Amino acid sequence: MTETREERKWVGKSIQRVEDPKFLLGRGGYIDDFGLEGMLHAALVRSPHAHARIKNIDVEEARRLPGVIAVVTGTEAAELCDPMPDFGPDPASHEWRCLAVDKVRNVGEGVVAVVAESRDIAEDACDLVDVEYEPLAPVVDPEAAMEEDAELVHEMVGSNVAFERNLIFGDVDRDFAEADVVVEDRLRWRRSGGQPLETVGAVASYDPGTGMLTIRENSLSFTSYLFMLAGTLKVPSNKLDIHPHPAGGSFGSKLWAVKAAAIAGMLSKATGKPVKYIEDRVDNMTNCDHHGSDRVYYAELAATNDGTLKSLRVRVIDDYGAYMQFGVGHHGNALAQVVGPYRIGSVQYHVQAVLTNKCQQGAYRGFGSEVHNWLLERMVDLVAKELEMDPVEIRRKNFIQPDQFPYFIPDGNVYDSGDYEGVLDKALELADYDYWREEQKRLREEEGRHIGIGICTAQERSVFSATEFWFWFDEPAAPVTSTPESVTLQVDAAGNVTASLYSCAFWGNSPETMVAQLVAEEFDVHPHQVNVVYSGTSQGLPATGPGGSRTTVMLAGAVEGASQKIKEKALKIAAHLLEAAPEDLEWSDGGVAVKGSPAQRKELAEIAMSVHLFKHQLPTEIESGLAADQVYDHPYTTMPSEDRKDLGVFYPIMGHACHIPVVEVDIETGLVKFLKYAAVHDAGTLVNPRSLNGHIIGGTAQGIGTALLEEYVYDEEGQLANASYQDYLIPSAMEVPELVIGHQETPSPYTVHGIKGGGEGGRMMAPAAIASAIEDALKSLGVRVNELPATPERVLDWIEEAKGLE
Amino acid sequence: MKPAPFDYHAPTSTGEAVELLAEFGDRGRVLAGGQSLFQLMNFRVVKPENLIDINPVTELDYIRSDNGTLAIGARTRQSTLERSREAAEWATLMVEAVKNVAHPSVRNRGTVGGSVAYADPASELPAVVLAMDGELVLTSGQGQRTLAAADFFRGPYTNACSADELLTEVRLPPWPSGTGHAFLEFQRKHGSYALMGTAVLVHLDGDSIDRVAISLCGVDETPVRAHKAEELLTGNASSEEVFEEAAEAAAPELKPLPDPKGSPEYRRKLAKVYIRRALELAVRRAKGER
Amino acid sequence: MSHRRQISVVVNGSRHESEVEARKYLAEFLREDLGLVGTHIGCEHGVCGACTVLMDGVSVRSCLVLAVQANEAEILTVEGLDRDGQMHPLQEAFWEKQGLQCGYCTPGMLVRAYELLREDPDPTAEEVREGMSNNLCRCTGYQYIVEAVLDGAERMRNA
Repeated sequence: MTETREERKWVGKSIQRVEDPKFLLGRGGYIDDFGLEGMLHAALVRSPHAHARIKNIDVEEARRLPGVIAVVTGTEAAELCDPMPDFGPDPASHEWRCLAVDKVRNVGEGVVAVVAESRDIAEDACDLVDVEYEPLAPVVDPEAAMEEDAELVHEMVGSNVAFERNLIFGDVDRDFAEADVVVEDRLRWRRSGGQPLETVGAVASYDPGTGMLTIRENSLSFTSYLFMLAGTLKVPSNKLDIHPHPAGGSFGSKLWAVKAAAIAGMLSKATGKPVKYIEDRVDNMTNCDHHGSDRVYYAELAATNDGTLKSLRVRVIDDYGAYMQFGVGHHGNALAQVVGPYRIGSVQYHVQAVLTNKCQQGAYRGFGSEVHNWLLERMVDLVAKELEMDPVEIRRKNFIQPDQFPYFIPDGNVYDSGDYEGVLDKALELADYDYWREEQKRLREEEGRHIGIGICTAQERSVFSATEFWFWFDEPAAPVTSTPESVTLQVDAAGNVTASLYSCAFWGNSPETMVAQLVAEEFDVHPHQVNVVYSGTSQGLPATGPGGSRTTVMLAGAVEGASQKIKEKALKIAAHLLEAAPEDLEWSDGGVAVKGSPAQRKELAEIAMSVHLFKHQLPTEIESGLAADQVYDHPYTTMPSEDRKDLGVFYPIMGHACHIPVVEVDIETGLVKFLKYAAVHDAGTLVNPRSLNGHIIGGTAQGIGTALLEEYVYDEEGQLANASYQDYLIPSAMEVPELVIGHQETPSPYTVHGIKGGGEGGRMMAPAAIASAIEDALKSLGVRVNELPATPERVLDWIEEAKGLE
Repeated sequence: MKPAPFDYHAPTSTGEAVELLAEFGDRGRVLAGGQSLFQLMNFRVVKPENLIDINPVTELDYIRSDNGTLAIGARTRQSTLERSREAAEWATLMVEAVKNVAHPSVRNRGTVGGSVAYADPASELPAVVLAMDGELVLTSGQGQRTLAAADFFRGPYTNACSADELLTEVRLPPWPSGTGHAFLEFQRKHGSYALMGTAVLVHLDGDSIDRVAISLCGVDETPVRAHKAEELLTGNASSEEVFEEAAEAAAPELKPLPDPKGSPEYRRKLAKVYIRRALELAVRRAKGER
Repeated sequence: MSHRRQISVVVNGSRHESEVEARKYLAEFLREDLGLVGTHIGCEHGVCGACTVLMDGVSVRSCLVLAVQANEAEILTVEGLDRDGQMHPLQEAFWEKQGLQCGYCTPGMLVRAYELLREDPDPTAEEVREGMSNNLCRCTGYQYIVEAVLDGAERMRNA
């Protein structure tokens, strides 16, 4: 497609979403809305200990409770199903099962599953299960976990350092030696998590007559990988059919969240009945397998006296919790944009992945790259402070320039396009930057108030490649390179278009609207006339699902491909109907017309009717029907070099954003509040600007949560001290300011319409921007913000420390 | 998170309610708004065998002035208190405090009596009742007795009711006209539990403080009065310095319970700041300023 | 047996007679017994507000009200807003302004907005923001919800 923005009719328009009516009317079709005749309900007995051996389980009383159908221990579950599908570094020695066997490794880990006529009764029965534990020393602090004498989370791994690798790109030592200034810091990013309002759930139904296991759930993704779940559930890969339901939010946490499906599936097979398992909030907070990154950084940034950033050294200890389902893919994400938007020439990245007795990490909006953004921006501010340079000017000075794209960063990934100064200037204007600098000064002098202006200029990568999960290993067990997305377009006899999507595409993003607008653009119909449906996996084409902000880009590719195929066939049919040569025809305005003679045309509806019903009126080689599949693979991935000095291209579609918040810090309490918040994003060509804005605001709200409010607080015993919404603080409308949003569209040369992904960007910027603002507010006190969340207590501690009061 | 099974009883009068309390004793639990009790039950922290639902006991839903003493029936909704003209006139501090309790939907069910009887150390209404030297009327099959607030709050989530007693009324004696009030609390986010809060009443004689009450929540096992601070202030002219001194005097005695949202040490620091700020605000209001 | 009770509830204008276990919450009763699945369950401890309905005209957390406590009460759920698929002005406004993404908090938001605007048909943006902080949303960051409520208010005033 080569139209310009002005020529596009639907792509770029903030139309009302196609998805919305059902949700507005209360007919969303979420997994808990679904039921089957005779369906049973499951609940889990969860471990109260962070680390313990399971000595004995007595289920007799539970089994006898009226209404209880089955009680399944971890040992019994291990007969019914194999370990969970795991993309981690060493699945052979680090086994992850849907119910713990022999020992529990985090508070909340499931130990026994109860199936009953109602969830109420299942929970009553859970209370009657008696588990005898032998508590073991809990492994909580990640640095302590690395010590020689630490208790082991997985004995077979032999160490709590499950994976370690030190990657060096470019001549780091030389760049540091030649630098005028080297700043260093220890930084701490504590875990928070997606916490969507809807938990993960599944309804499984095993039919012994056909051997078919049908699972409905609000997680999916990686359709091509479902054979792994089938393996876990011990059904043939072609006897597992998964139907996706719209998810009430995910933010990553429903990405491959297959444990609920495994539990429900296993229990359905065991009981011969349909079984529903929906996590409750405690299940989710303690046992969801999707906590966010939890890192300790030792970082150094080298620069010359004129503010040129030369080299970055990072050692990162990542507290992965009790399992590592995604290996260190989160660090692949960091490496995708490791130098940020800057011309830093060399990088050392030393990752140490540590096991502890906590819920494992999974995916949370940014998938580890948002943490790196925060780290890098904190270090850039430190250089600025050291050199007494303005934080805006040091960034401007180091930006990769528009004429340098496509720009290869030291580790081999490429940034496709960008104009970072354009975004910065727009953000400064929207933020009323000069006015706020004046206000900052005035309010400090006149009223003693501490106002701070923060800045973050950082990348938002999109469309991941599978290589980021395995280029860490010299000899990867499974060097996967497929991350496709598929669409089927069908034009019915009346000329109406239906688009089928695969994988669980709806999480609150707008896949139906995206596809409707893309199809509308292709076929000159109104987006609301396009019907978008979700297909189950047994009819499924390969699909990877939402993740890494890939959906719109990939669906655009798939829609374009399928549309081309349909238009080619439509042209052939029209050629016959119009008695013209196909070369003399062109797609025009919802139909096919003779070039130069638009009145001679056939509408799509006529073409469709003809090819559906009037076979004998068409040439023999034209088959009935008008439909096409398109499997769209990643547009640009290359292999890593053998020596891993070049990781190849793995995340080329690179967006960028600038956030400028203005905050006030109450220095008596440490409380931070917002006075203004400007955000400018460049996610290439926009499909539905308002929809993207919604994600920017929502992502920023989560970034505010991560920066100020949210943390999974584990105590020294490994207890999750805040497993409820009274104590895990999700921002309300009073904690999120009104955002002033701007856009810049620097198209990608590699994607259809030049679209880039943008769904994660808000959360990828906000923590860095807010940390920067707090530090700016407390500049006169010399406070350094290198930990988050920056709770009021932490901020007050920093203030008192800086004042010498500690 | 489903509660364990229970038997449910719905008395329609105070008499019926206390009869049920007498019948079930420790095996019964009063259900008022349910906004706290159901949380405990859903987490299976408590598993009462019998719930005695006093929501149908509408005769306990009232707010009236008894010669300036505000009498609030235990079953009065927090949202009713929030909007009550009587309360605004005779116990403004209660109205200001109740606006901090969670969110509107919670206040539409939560009751004044329920919140006071639940005696959550971090909650607002008990602190105000204590500040105002309120009295609690307890009713049982044997009759009624009235306890001073200081005698009613016994420990965390523990009040002085015996198993067969129902809190039926909260009584708040009036302060002289011209009294300034302030209720301030520190919430990490809007509507969440306070890390600490303070209720202040102050009456001036010219420039001098002739009566002051400072009550705190979230800083101990029960709401507490900052008596040392009150003594320090009484008879003195109001000033920044004396507010600071009072706040300093109050802080060391505070023993906040652990809370994942903020350490005891931090909350002691907050208490100092908030006592001072509340005194400033209350005095400004006493002087008729804004 | 006093742990089961007969109840009579009017929901969205229709009366329903039913026998329920005492421990069944109103949210579950609406979803499971009446098939009104628009009211959602998010936290089961009264904080998120996804379960918000009107009970005798005021918003409540239906996960913290027993079905037996709704005996003889009038309930309004999201399903009571539209007229046979014809959207209520608030629903139109949420659609227009993209006041939703995943839709899970939306029924609760709509019911709460309905209550808010009944109390004050012409609120300021700040009043809407504070009023709607009664309910959590994890997707939108609230801005377009505030815009939707203001837009809905205008539609309702002009109707």
